[in-house]
Amino acid sequence: MSDDATTDRLDYVEWADRLRDGDLVGQECAECGHTTAAPKAACARCGSRTLATVTLPTDGIVHSETTVAVPPEGFAGEYQVAVVRLGDAKVLGRIDGTVDIGDRVSFADVLVTDDHPAPVFEPV
Amino acid sequence: MARASIVGAGMTKFGVHERPLPDLFADAAFDAFDDAGVESPEIEALYFGNAMGGMTENDTHLAPTLASHIGCTGVPAQRFEDACATSATAFKHAVEAVESGRHDVVLAGGVERCTPETGLGTGAMTKVFVSAAHRQYEQPAGLTFPGVFALLTKRHMHEYGTTEEHLAEVAVKNHYNGTLNPRAHFGRETSVEKVLDSPIVADPFHLMDCCPFSDGASAVVVASEEAAESFENPVDVAGVGHATDVVPLADKVDLPATQAARDAASQAYDQAGTTADAIDFAEIHDCFTGAEVMATEALGLFEDGGGGPAAAAGRTALDGDVPVNPSGGLKAKGHPLGATGTAQLVELTEQLRGEAGERQLDDPERAVAHNLGGDAATTVVTVMEARR
Repeated sequence: MSDDATTDRLDYVEWADRLRDGDLVGQECAECGHTTAAPKAACARCGSRTLATVTLPTDGIVHSETTVAVPPEGFAGEYQVAVVRLGDAKVLGRIDGTVDIGDRVSFADVLVTDDHPAPVFEPV
Repeated sequence: MARASIVGAGMTKFGVHERPLPDLFADAAFDAFDDAGVESPEIEALYFGNAMGGMTENDTHLAPTLASHIGCTGVPAQRFEDACATSATAFKHAVEAVESGRHDVVLAGGVERCTPETGLGTGAMTKVFVSAAHRQYEQPAGLTFPGVFALLTKRHMHEYGTTEEHLAEVAVKNHYNGTLNPRAHFGRETSVEKVLDSPIVADPFHLMDCCPFSDGASAVVVASEEAAESFENPVDVAGVGHATDVVPLADKVDLPATQAARDAASQAYDQAGTTADAIDFAEIHDCFTGAEVMATEALGLFEDGGGGPAAAAGRTALDGDVPVNPSGGLKAKGHPLGATGTAQLVELTEQLRGEAGERQLDDPERAVAHNLGGDAATTVVTVMEARR
């Protein structure tokens, strides 16, 4: 029983595998409709465990952004990161190019650091 | 009715300290003991905060180590870790312990060493700090903590027209206040021009919009309302609110709202039977200038979008109608993570007693402290009142 639930649920390993393959997926809550690009074990808004895996739109709008000039160890600056709105979900990603809030961007690439992938967006 | 009282408050100067964590914490703890007039055996429990010691100094299981070091061996001692809100959450548990009748007199406090002089370089420490961002969904993009607050602040600027000059005014005010605080990391004034001319860390934040990496410790002796009667100078804890928001950042409903602060403030004001209008001054978690602007709005001190103009108009200065960060705040006083929450309460205690020296405000009766952790996903808001 619990094995089925685990198998059905989009977890980080599957999310990361699919992202590395160029497929940006998320979860939609069957109870409250909340959509996230950061899969969880239960809905962060309502607590429901009935979460469907959904393919997120690849085109979105920049919700907020900053250019990091002093990077952490393991990264070389400077670079722009942004919160991008993709349909009903928001996702944090790296920007290839330069964008402002409200700009249209498209999912273009994947950045892998320490074996952890992050989506990369570029201006449309 | 108070939930508890602070009967003794102490802290080290914030800045660079070669002394290791136990000795540094002992300096703050004994300062608090001496202020309260208690000895180590009278302390019934230790609620202790340290956020990053495992990563920065290979030092964990600190609570019994520090209890032993300050002569409190054998008491229940526990360490809290909630990023930059670490010692405020420790304090919350101390308040609940004396309120419930479990203990009468306990110690809450924290210690941290973050300076490059005594620990890691900027790149390594930037990596340690970003451990408080989501490991899977945020760190891989190269996010930093200045970056986290930059994302919140730029959305605030977009929605409300907050400007870089508004942000710089926060730094200027807090640096001035820091010159009046002998325990502040920075004791020099700055100007809007100097802030805007300083190098970018993560736009819109210049170096001078950011708090420093600091070493330091702070502690408060917490007593039940009844036990406090036997102490000379108690200051009452009227409310402590504690709320969390969703992680990661991108899943927050409203980035510049810092919702956990709104929820925690609402709890704290309700417990205290008060409102934002009745707050005489605030100590606010200004890790970055934008964080102070957003917090003044979340606490209800100004309307949404009004925080930047209020700072620029001098309303949050020592002689303004709602002084914010008379201590100099994290920006000038410094930010040794695990010591910051209880250091805010040291300032509240001293101001409400009328013992804050050159930066003393005009007879304040009620104040609020706002200590946040991570991407503002943890916030603890404390309301304290002078005993008259």
